[in-house]
Amino acid sequence: MKYFREISVALALLALLVALAIVAPAFFQPQPLLSLATREAPTLIVACGMALVIICRQIDISVASQFAICSVCAGLLAAMKLPLVVVLPASICIGAILGSINGALIAGLGLPSIVVTLATMVTWREALRWQRQGEFVNLPDNVQWFGLSQFAGQWTVIAVAVVLLILLAIAMKRIAAGRFVYAVGSDAEAARLAGIPPQRVTFLTFAFMGALVGLAAMMNVVQSPQVDPKSGTGIELKTIAAVVVGGVAISGGRGNLWGAFAGLLLLACVSPALTHLHVDSYWEKAIQGMIILLAVVADGIRSKRGNA
Amino acid sequence: MFSVSVLTSGCSKSSDSTATTGTAKGKKVTIALMPKSKGNAYFISCKNGADKAAKELGVDLVFDGPTDPDPAKQNEIIENWITLGVDGIAAACENKEGISTALRKAKQKGIKVVTYDADSLADARDFFVNQATPEGIGFTLMDEAARLSNSEGEFAIITASLTAANMIEWQKYIEQRRVEKYPNMKMVALRPCDDLKDKAQSEATSLMSANPNLKLIMAICSPAVPGAAEAVKQAGKVGQVKVIGLGLPSENRRYVKEGVTDSVILWKTEDLGNLTIRATKALVDGDLKPGATSFNAGDLGAIEIKGDNILLGKPFIFNKENIDQFNF
Repeated sequence: MKYFREISVALALLALLVALAIVAPAFFQPQPLLSLATREAPTLIVACGMALVIICRQIDISVASQFAICSVCAGLLAAMKLPLVVVLPASICIGAILGSINGALIAGLGLPSIVVTLATMVTWREALRWQRQGEFVNLPDNVQWFGLSQFAGQWTVIAVAVVLLILLAIAMKRIAAGRFVYAVGSDAEAARLAGIPPQRVTFLTFAFMGALVGLAAMMNVVQSPQVDPKSGTGIELKTIAAVVVGGVAISGGRGNLWGAFAGLLLLACVSPALTHLHVDSYWEKAIQGMIILLAVVADGIRSKRGNA
Repeated sequence: MFSVSVLTSGCSKSSDSTATTGTAKGKKVTIALMPKSKGNAYFISCKNGADKAAKELGVDLVFDGPTDPDPAKQNEIIENWITLGVDGIAAACENKEGISTALRKAKQKGIKVVTYDADSLADARDFFVNQATPEGIGFTLMDEAARLSNSEGEFAIITASLTAANMIEWQKYIEQRRVEKYPNMKMVALRPCDDLKDKAQSEATSLMSANPNLKLIMAICSPAVPGAAEAVKQAGKVGQVKVIGLGLPSENRRYVKEGVTDSVILWKTEDLGNLTIRATKALVDGDLKPGATSFNAGDLGAIEIKGDNILLGKPFIFNKENIDQFNF
């Protein structure tokens, strides 16, 4: 079945939600759910980019550091009383620059992405720690929720993420650039022979990833009156896990954004579900790990069968 | 986790001349005070207390440290102070092992060495001015939680991680106090936030919806206090679910003034600086010797000494009334 993986993740999510509906119906109160969706919206934006990077047969583990740098820069610009119409593009540009650095090193010099992004992850993070000393950035009053009401602000953040997901999902299927990413991810040499420049595609994928991180950081900054310089810590693991659970092959060229979306929904529900089920928090990370392991094992079994 | 430091009484009560101790022992005493980093508001506040004590005791105070926390730079400055021949050194150590060699060298040259806020290895200094004991922190948090919820009902704890040694220690004393004094209070959940404000906010949101009778959230790592407060505010449960925690006044001022967060617990940094200088001076004068069990610290009163730890005392509670007096 073509969408076997996406459907099985969706079914797992459904099973979790049904179990919660029976055992802990309080999970389905509108306010906490809206809050949960708003909190996860920036992660969804990063997960979209991560799906592209992984489809392109690369990986970016520096996204959390990019996220923190964009958050702090956006915060500092906003604190200088610059309007959001300036701060938002600035944050996206800073992200795109950081992404381009990764892209140039990986595509231009042909270095392995895991090593390059590991290095930039540590470099950006430590530079920021040195610069900020962990100090929060306090924002002016009109930044939170774009100056709208909390309700309108929350829906705006969610809408940005969801519209982006839909547009990108369509673009990956229908637009040449989207097909190029798949082509380079499945076989770079074949893509080159077909006239697709693999290096340029790889570079642009990383730059785009950075821009998405800048957007995501901004969607997170507007959710509170202060910016934590450690914002986004762990987002690389969460998004890579979501993408892999959602059926995007870590070997590149296969998978889609809807799977990544389903994977993220499943992982995002685990932590609040455990709180609602009053399960000891010691289990949380173990359960998340088990979900990822299951996904990878399923992948392994499927590709074995495919080869046989 | 925020940097360790001591509790002090920020606005030292005027003690006039009563506590002035002898400058009669000949030349003026020079004490060098080192922060982890110079620009940090927390240490500037410590220095304010130190300045007051130095003025009262007639001490020449030298204040220097790295611009940014840097263990190598700390060593360099201490070497300089040894050459200068100061009488006493009081240091907040960025790296426990890193600084100890330099401090030992100072001790060998007859300089009295005290650490404050963050300790060195025990043999590298004479005393550590300990800003807060786990017992003091745990008991104060639990007492404050009980006071705000009339000693009954459900509360939840948000911690940094389930493995952080200092927080496990605090939880032990929180639980001990609860069992002894507030048996009608029930801890319904303990959630880790990985020391992240955003994650603390998510955790607090689910805690409130999963525990409809929750009356209070106790955040025991500093980013969790504003995180929990933002969650309570967004849930529209201000007043219904109270927030207390261990953190810095500057990160929580907004929520304390809005009435979302009731109490932020820390120590008074000015008192920490004040006590550090008084202890170093007493060591130099020979009024304080290893093995002492208490120490008269002027306007801070009688201070308990446990082993080689000079205890600042009970933590300080920042609330709506006093938070504007503190800028760190």
